[in-house]
Amino acid sequence: MAAQMASTKVPEVRDITRIERIGAHSHIRGLGLDDALEPRQVSQGMVGQLASRRAAGLILEMIKDGHIAGRAVLIAGQPGTGKTAIAMGIAQSLGPDTPFTALAGSEIFSLEMSKTEALSQAFRKAIGVRIKEETEIIEGEVVEIQIDRPATGTGAKVGKLTLKTTEMETIYDLGSKMIESLSKERIQAGDVITIDKATGKISKLGRSFTRARDYDAMGAQTQFVQCPEGELQKRKEVVHTVSLHEIDVINSRTQGFLALFSGDTGEIKSEVREQINAKVSEWREEGKAEIIPGVLFIDEVHMLDIECFSFLNRALESDLSPVLIMATNRGITRIRGTNYQSPHGIPIDMLDRLLIIATSPYTEKETRQILKIRCEEEDVELSEEAHTVLTRIGQETSLRYAIQLISTAGLVCRKRRGTEVQVEDIKRVYSLFLDEQRSSQYMKEYQDSFLFNEAQTAQMDTS
Amino acid sequence: MDDSAQRVLAYLTEVEEAAEDVLADKQQIVDLDLKRNRNREALNALRNDRSLNDKANVCFGNMFIRLPKEKTKTMIQKDQEQIDKEISELRKRLKAKVNHLNELQGKPELKGYNLSPLSNEEIKAINSILKR
Repeated sequence: MAAQMASTKVPEVRDITRIERIGAHSHIRGLGLDDALEPRQVSQGMVGQLASRRAAGLILEMIKDGHIAGRAVLIAGQPGTGKTAIAMGIAQSLGPDTPFTALAGSEIFSLEMSKTEALSQAFRKAIGVRIKEETEIIEGEVVEIQIDRPATGTGAKVGKLTLKTTEMETIYDLGSKMIESLSKERIQAGDVITIDKATGKISKLGRSFTRARDYDAMGAQTQFVQCPEGELQKRKEVVHTVSLHEIDVINSRTQGFLALFSGDTGEIKSEVREQINAKVSEWREEGKAEIIPGVLFIDEVHMLDIECFSFLNRALESDLSPVLIMATNRGITRIRGTNYQSPHGIPIDMLDRLLIIATSPYTEKETRQILKIRCEEEDVELSEEAHTVLTRIGQETSLRYAIQLISTAGLVCRKRRGTEVQVEDIKRVYSLFLDEQRSSQYMKEYQDSFLFNEAQTAQMDTS
Repeated sequence: MDDSAQRVLAYLTEVEEAAEDVLADKQQIVDLDLKRNRNREALNALRNDRSLNDKANVCFGNMFIRLPKEKTKTMIQKDQEQIDKEISELRKRLKAKVNHLNELQGKPELKGYNLSPLSNEEIKAINSILKR
């Protein structure tokens, strides 16, 4: 019981963190470009930032064509100018088939795993391998099952199974093993089943529509399907996309297959990775696999230290390397782990490899648009004046602060049973919650009464 | 008819022809599978036949001919092999034809369509990730 609870709990916890992270950009559906890669002013949840979006669109096209595997892109700009939004837009427009891995720069610092291991895993999660599975199956509707029990009561049972499609009908002789699995699956006349030719595994697809009347009194859970068309013995081909990391994990023997579910995969030996690389390139040469270079997005990249950057430098040169997209909001600052200053806190040799996209602050009109989109996303109705006031707040303080006021103002509005957020509601939450500037102002005024006051060394060490 | 209409007509004819080609092949696979299943039934019947008679009545078109059982068996088995080969050949050709049809219709090429399949052991090895 306890084990069962634990196993059901793990995915739940994971889900919540995922929703939380995307939450702020849940309105992004793509990059908002037209067919000629020209950005539209407002589209797919994106507003403004035309130049950066166009640049991102170009990169996106190259990723789709598989042109720029092993390259790196840096999105640089002030806080709240849509860097993460652009990365999300790229992720959304890549489609489900291209792997996209997002991680924040601080996520790689863990006691259980070295920094380079965390980065290697992220890299390998962003590379997909497309493989094909081919099976011969017999697919048909059961017309009749006839099982003869031996007269003595012991000995092997024999029987006959009649299957049909819309085109043909045939009789199979059944051995005792087949009979056993048929009765185990509770197959009856009228079921549509498939039999895997290689393993003899039987699976029930549902009940045939033509027999629907026979099962009139059945519950809603009975699923009705059409009688299969065409030949009885079919070939089924399924194309799967798996990531290199997933193959690593199942082949890392000390972990066993359970490692996939716990989420804590520990470290993977480099020999295992080398074996997998060799196997995958062997498959590729035999035409059994295609490599899909995906995208690895590292947010807050200035949180990485000098060791990580040198690892990235090296990893980008490997022939199995995804497109690396990084984002940072820092100017010229100290590179973590050194005493050297560098633009964006990234070493010059690394910067040299990057395509850099800059984002610029939003104009008033754009801020207004974004707030409107967020209101729709959070299901809050805003009156015209309140919208204007909120836009003003967004311009004066920060866009993030204004967006946070939306849902709180929505709550205040609901509390007084209003349908539309008015200026009063905005004023109320504005007085309740301080923005960054007012908070610092407050600190300066009352610093003497705070504990551990060290106003002299107020410069924050962020690197 | 003016020029553009002529061109549209030619294009549509081409698409229809390609589609017809695909359908014909599909039907042929169905017909061959039908025959394969009948042969299989016949082989089963021969195996289960416990009469002392060492000859069987075999139907050729409209006529029943008495043939030795052994000979009938090898004959049918040979036919079966031939059918299996033909079906796999047809399937291979069908792939190229479907690709051609998709291209004519301006549809995107199917992903991973031209991959060769992994072997059974390889699939078994990575099965745990496929069954998510």
